[in-house]
Amino acid sequence: MTRTWLRWLPAATVPAVIAAGVLAGSLPASAGDPLPAKSPEQVLELIAQHRDPSFSGTLEQTSNLGLPDLPKTGPGSASGDTAWLELLTGPHTARVYRDGADNARVQVLDRLAERDVIRHGDQLWFYNSKDNTAAHAVLPAGGHHPSGQDSVPTPDRLAAKLLAALDRSSNVSVGTDVEVAGRAAYQLVLTPRSSATLLASISISVDGQSGMPLGVEVKARGQSDPAFSVAFTKLSLRAPDAAIFQFSPPPGATVKELPVPDHKATGAKEKRGAAAKAKVKVSGTGWESVVELPAGSLAKAAPAKGAPEQQGGPGSAASLLAQATVPVPGGRLLSTALVNVLILDDGRIFAGSVPLERLQAAAAAR
Amino acid sequence: MPGLRLLGSELGVLFRRRRTWAMLLALAAIPVLIAVAVRLSSAVPPGRGPAFLDRISQNGLFAGVTAMLVAVPLFLPLTIGVVAGDTVAGEAGLGTLRYLLAAPAGRGRLLVVKFAGAVVFAVAAPFTVALVGAGIGAALFPVGPVTLLSGDSIGAAEALARLLLIAAYLAVSLVGLSAIGLFMSTLTDVPVGAMAATVVFAVVSQVADALPQLEWLHPWLFTHRWLDFADLLRQPIVWDSFAANALLQGGYLAVFGALAYARFTTKDVLS
Amino acid sequence: MTALPPSAELPSAELSIETRGLSKRFGRQMAVDGVDLAVPRGSVFGFLGPNGSGKTTTIRIMLGLAAASSGSVRVLGEEMPRQLRTVLPRVGALVEGPAFYPFLSGAANLLRFDAADPEAPAGTRRARVRTALERVGLAHAADKKVRAYSLGMKQRLGIANALLAPRELLVLDEPTNGLDPQGTREVRHLVRSLAADGATVFVSSHLLAEVEQICTHAAIMSAGRLVAQGPLAELRQAGQSRVRLLTPDAGAAARVMAGLGLTPDGGGISNGGSAGTWGEVLYAPLPAGSAAGAPSPEELVAALVAADVRVRGFAVEQGSLEDRFVELTGEGFDVAQ
Ligand SMILES: Nc1ncnc2c1ncn2[C@@H]1O[C@H](COP(=O)(O)OP(=O)(O)O)[C@@H](O)[C@H]1O
Ligand SMILES: [Mg+2]
Repeated sequence: MTRTWLRWLPAATVPAVIAAGVLAGSLPASAGDPLPAKSPEQVLELIAQHRDPSFSGTLEQTSNLGLPDLPKTGPGSASGDTAWLELLTGPHTARVYRDGADNARVQVLDRLAERDVIRHGDQLWFYNSKDNTAAHAVLPAGGHHPSGQDSVPTPDRLAAKLLAALDRSSNVSVGTDVEVAGRAAYQLVLTPRSSATLLASISISVDGQSGMPLGVEVKARGQSDPAFSVAFTKLSLRAPDAAIFQFSPPPGATVKELPVPDHKATGAKEKRGAAAKAKVKVSGTGWESVVELPAGSLAKAAPAKGAPEQQGGPGSAASLLAQATVPVPGGRLLSTALVNVLILDDGRIFAGSVPLERLQAAAAAR
Repeated sequence: MPGLRLLGSELGVLFRRRRTWAMLLALAAIPVLIAVAVRLSSAVPPGRGPAFLDRISQNGLFAGVTAMLVAVPLFLPLTIGVVAGDTVAGEAGLGTLRYLLAAPAGRGRLLVVKFAGAVVFAVAAPFTVALVGAGIGAALFPVGPVTLLSGDSIGAAEALARLLLIAAYLAVSLVGLSAIGLFMSTLTDVPVGAMAATVVFAVVSQVADALPQLEWLHPWLFTHRWLDFADLLRQPIVWDSFAANALLQGGYLAVFGALAYARFTTKDVLS
Repeated sequence: MTALPPSAELPSAELSIETRGLSKRFGRQMAVDGVDLAVPRGSVFGFLGPNGSGKTTTIRIMLGLAAASSGSVRVLGEEMPRQLRTVLPRVGALVEGPAFYPFLSGAANLLRFDAADPEAPAGTRRARVRTALERVGLAHAADKKVRAYSLGMKQRLGIANALLAPRELLVLDEPTNGLDPQGTREVRHLVRSLAADGATVFVSSHLLAEVEQICTHAAIMSAGRLVAQGPLAELRQAGQSRVRLLTPDAGAAARVMAGLGLTPDGGGISNGGSAGTWGEVLYAPLPAGSAAGAPSPEELVAALVAADVRVRGFAVEQGSLEDRFVELTGEGFDVAQ
């Protein structure tokens, strides 16, 4: 009967309309006003002339490194020891606020929890809602110090580092314009000249107006989905409310006072990094760089005590490391889409975005 | 408006059932139990038990938040399943459906009124938990500035407003499940079957949401954003998840509402 | 065979209910099979048939509760179910027994169903509910939960629900189910008074005797088919008359009757045979009308007397509707299928 048929019509059309809407929304929206064509050099210039603006925005980060997902809730959920590792796996959302060079706040929005880094002038605060702990440091006056937001790689910081490291060994081209966080952006594509690397390409989307990098996407060879991407989903270039940078630890929170950091590093993590950096050796250049950490670094880098074999409980950094590595001649290999890490039995560590053989060759060369 | 009068009658029937009140009472018991348990125990270390549990002793209002968190996975879906699954199948089971339709209530109108009744319950349920939680929390613990997830503190009045906002978020979250229940309810004359099917839907969706292998499916699951109500406890509030959740629930409402409409307006009422 | 032609006789405007070729299939079974009903306005229409013959299913289709597999229905002159919204407010219905919310009082139940009718004025709702309850004698139990009602009280409440508003048509499916004899009498009385107010009353029943006394028209269903319908008098007439003979000379009488082409039957259909001091009772069906060759009753008596049969009692009995019912449905009150 025709009437029966008519009644089922909405039930058939609604899913179709939704599917059409989703498809339309997911298509790479071409910017309404096409950006004037620019050569790669001009885009690089555009990036170079951009100044630390004031903005508030939301970042989405996804990693598809091939590491096991870490549990997000329940016992063993990331806190303390494994929090740093957890940032490398799975998707993350963070809100970033910046007002000039001295005020910044990053909120990593976890499920039912939040990790905050707040920098206000020379005051630096860390807050973790999961265990209601805060850490505080006072930055020494004068000098440029990386603000706390470096604990989450924002696209502009990341882009600056990548460009500094890879400029010379890459083919740089400009892809089709993209839309990021509702803004028309150039897409700067770096592809390695060398084939001896795991990486296929790195795309940086650059705001057509301000020259601010809005997103970074890293693709590995043989993977169609980006192995790592971070990009703004929302961005406002107005100065955020000043109250956002005001922070005082909540009543009842455990507050730890961090020692005054030295000139180059901020916070405990950076300090550790700095200590290790002294003995780090780099061989090769650009995309093929191999980093060598001397024996004993692992214990320092991963806060858990002892080697992976003498693991702590499940969920600890050590046990996760043991889970994630495979034995290879002479040691263990942590293999991800972007980076290979060779942990030799003598404790030395070689890492780089290169195949295992390169790491072994680098190890043999010493 | 005859439609409003029928809605009034529908709510009258819903809230004159002892079953409805029993379910609201059971929901109200959750914050009471939690608050009393915290009161009787020594300090709860952070990171143990459901999130926010350790905050209750510092601030009574968290009893409401913790209770909602505890109620979200099972208790709330259970009660919604009972009410939404009962909408049409319950009338069919009693036989009253044929008299409503012969009155004539109009099938489309009856379906809308039935759904509206289920939604009113979906609003009443989380607000019961929130308000009873705030009440018992205030009775047993101090009420003062509330620490948000971001580490900032807000006053008690704003905290109460946020508590109600969370209840509203959960009410919106339950709209999709209500629509599913409504559709299930048009499929059978046995209300228990529709109720069970609805609750199973909610459980399966949450299980699927926990499986990393089904990651592509996650954003499409109506339970996916249920726990994102925590975004209302950040400073400043993250409204994105509220909007995204409303859109998601709206999508489920559209799909299952259309299915329920198609089924109900074409089916033979033989009960 | 004797099924009257459908609505051909009456123009549609004068019919409260008219179905044409109405059929309903449940799986492989035809619950209603090509039914052409014609219910005249103002009639009290008995819709008869054994259990399972398709009465309730027909009523469901008439009220738009179920869709017909084929055929059409007009109720109060309007196409159903297309005009459901304008038709149903003028129709009061009791379908397949009463059904209520057990946790509500009788009055609250009626208020609920009345609120479902978009055309029922809200202002007079309470008064109308009270009147309807009084009309079925339930005023005293108005505030009692239906859970505590007896079957008969529920049946009355169901009828009260059909009477909430002034109706042009009342469809009562087995209205006397579960009622005691007193209740049955009251329902009959009620139906008469409704008909007196000008409403058409469509009463279905598997118990013919309950309906026979109040109907002006009737239709008989059997296994989904309509086997007869028309004014009650015509239906009765269409049935066979018979003679009843009381005589001590049963053997001789039987021979005389057989000689005249009748088939006498000792004891008879109605099992009235009894050998008393006056003799035995013989029944013989009379062929319908004045068929050629059939003896008239007076010729039969003359022949009997001429043959020295002592005629102590003689009567021509009009066939009862019940006989007709049994004759047409062929299965008495057994349940079909
Ligand atoms: N829901 C149903 N599904 C399948 N068959 C049904 C259904 N309802 C009724 N029937 C069948 O249809 C036939 C007519 O039933 P019904 O109209 O209820 O008879 P009546 O009211 O005359 O007793 C019966 O044989 C019955 O078995
Ligand atoms: Mg019946």
